[in-house]
Amino acid sequence: MFKNLITESTAKSPWLFHINSGSCNGCDIELVAVLTPRYDAERFGFKLAGSPRHADIVVVSGPLTQQSLPRTLRAISQVPEPRCIVTIGSCPQSGNVFKGSYSVMAPLSKYVHVDVAVAGCTPKPEAIMDGLVQATEILKEKRKAWLEAKKNGLKDGPKAETEQEVPAAEDVPASGEEVQQ
Amino acid sequence: MAIVYSSLVYLGYILIFPGFLFCFVAGMLITGIDRKIVAKMQKRVGPPILQPMYDFFKLMGKETIIPAAANKTVFLAAPIVGLAAMVVIQLFIPVISTPILYGTADLIVILYLLLIPALAEIYGGSASGSPYAGVGLSREMVTIIACELPLVLIFLSVAKTVGNAMGTGLCFSLSDIAAYQAANGSLMLKASMIPAAIAMLLVIPGETGNHPFDAAEAETEICEGMLAEYSGAPLGIYKLTHAIKTFTLTALFVALFLGGIGTGIVLLDALIEFAICVVLTIIFISLVHAVTARLKIEQLFKYYWTAVSTIALISLVLAWFGM
Repeated sequence: MFKNLITESTAKSPWLFHINSGSCNGCDIELVAVLTPRYDAERFGFKLAGSPRHADIVVVSGPLTQQSLPRTLRAISQVPEPRCIVTIGSCPQSGNVFKGSYSVMAPLSKYVHVDVAVAGCTPKPEAIMDGLVQATEILKEKRKAWLEAKKNGLKDGPKAETEQEVPAAEDVPASGEEVQQ
Repeated sequence: MAIVYSSLVYLGYILIFPGFLFCFVAGMLITGIDRKIVAKMQKRVGPPILQPMYDFFKLMGKETIIPAAANKTVFLAAPIVGLAAMVVIQLFIPVISTPILYGTADLIVILYLLLIPALAEIYGGSASGSPYAGVGLSREMVTIIACELPLVLIFLSVAKTVGNAMGTGLCFSLSDIAAYQAANGSLMLKASMIPAAIAMLLVIPGETGNHPFDAAEAETEICEGMLAEYSGAPLGIYKLTHAIKTFTLTALFVALFLGGIGTGIVLLDALIEFAICVVLTIIFISLVHAVTARLKIEQLFKYYWTAVSTIALISLVLAWFGM
């Protein structure tokens, strides 16, 4: 009865969780600009969530340094399905000017499925907004795919093709693993 | 047969009219209007008024993650207990004239029931095993204690005023308070009750955890405190409880200070009540939200135990001397 309502709402209330994976702060400022009165992302229902567990869209900025990569992936894995991953700026896409450095692990798409990549150094707020609104449509598609899979007997829905190998990180304790219901 | 019928009627009360469905719609609309008004005050377009509904239904469709460190039963039961207590309060509050449930000590029952959602949040937060929840729940406890004293003083001064008139000493019955106001005009019009009414309006944002008093759920600081580990449906239920709480407290204000303005037609009364609640929310929650920054927890405590309590105490003293 509520299925359609929930599917529609999924696209209308996307909450963001922002991960800075070693960004120079440029993209972070632009993301904040998206939320200010001038651009006002809240009119689409966007809200900055404090905890990854509340989020629908994970926004990643920065070139994924060796230290931040395992933590970024852990934070992403804590976001409940359906979720979308949006990268901001050229850094998570290619490494940008930091490419070739021993400590830069970009691109992010090597490790997880990236839904929307907003390029630019830094992208304009309009571009970020466009990317985020595209992500809401993808969220809706994911929700539909999940319902479809449930109908076909997959109990937990399709696990996204995202869970790939996480590079070893000795200093991140494994005890914080989640039991997923 | 009669028992079946009357229990069905009560079920209807609980689930539909003054109970769940009415609370759900009213609470969600009030929160939506609040968000829209805050956005307008900040020169933004703002979310649609139905935004809290979208948020709620979206959360219903999300995956629910239970942390490995959590106590599963308490973690999942706490939001439901909080919501149930919140809905029960609504049965005690008269929609302008008569409440569904009534007795001789409604106000005291309401005082306790108002605690339960906050306590449920504390239990749920501590069951989640998150350090953010730990910080949040300690602050939430301080907030509860801070708001409780002025609230008790306000209830006492209302009870004393009505009790004096009825000749029963203290009158904690909301239906008697409503009857008194229907006969003698709203309590808001009595000079001795004006400080109590002001204090009540100042308590409402603290009790609902709205902006300047949201140290317990500071989302930019401690990841919404007790809700940090919640996701999916339980989080949605907490958000719903918060929304209903705003409506319940403003409705309680209407019942205590603005009674006796009803028309006798239940639906019309409900609309009037809702309209007054919206106005109160806009002035005392949205406006305050838009113009203030978050208080530290000790500032919050000091504010409620000195300024607000003093205002409430003035009313109590005046009421005690029969003015």
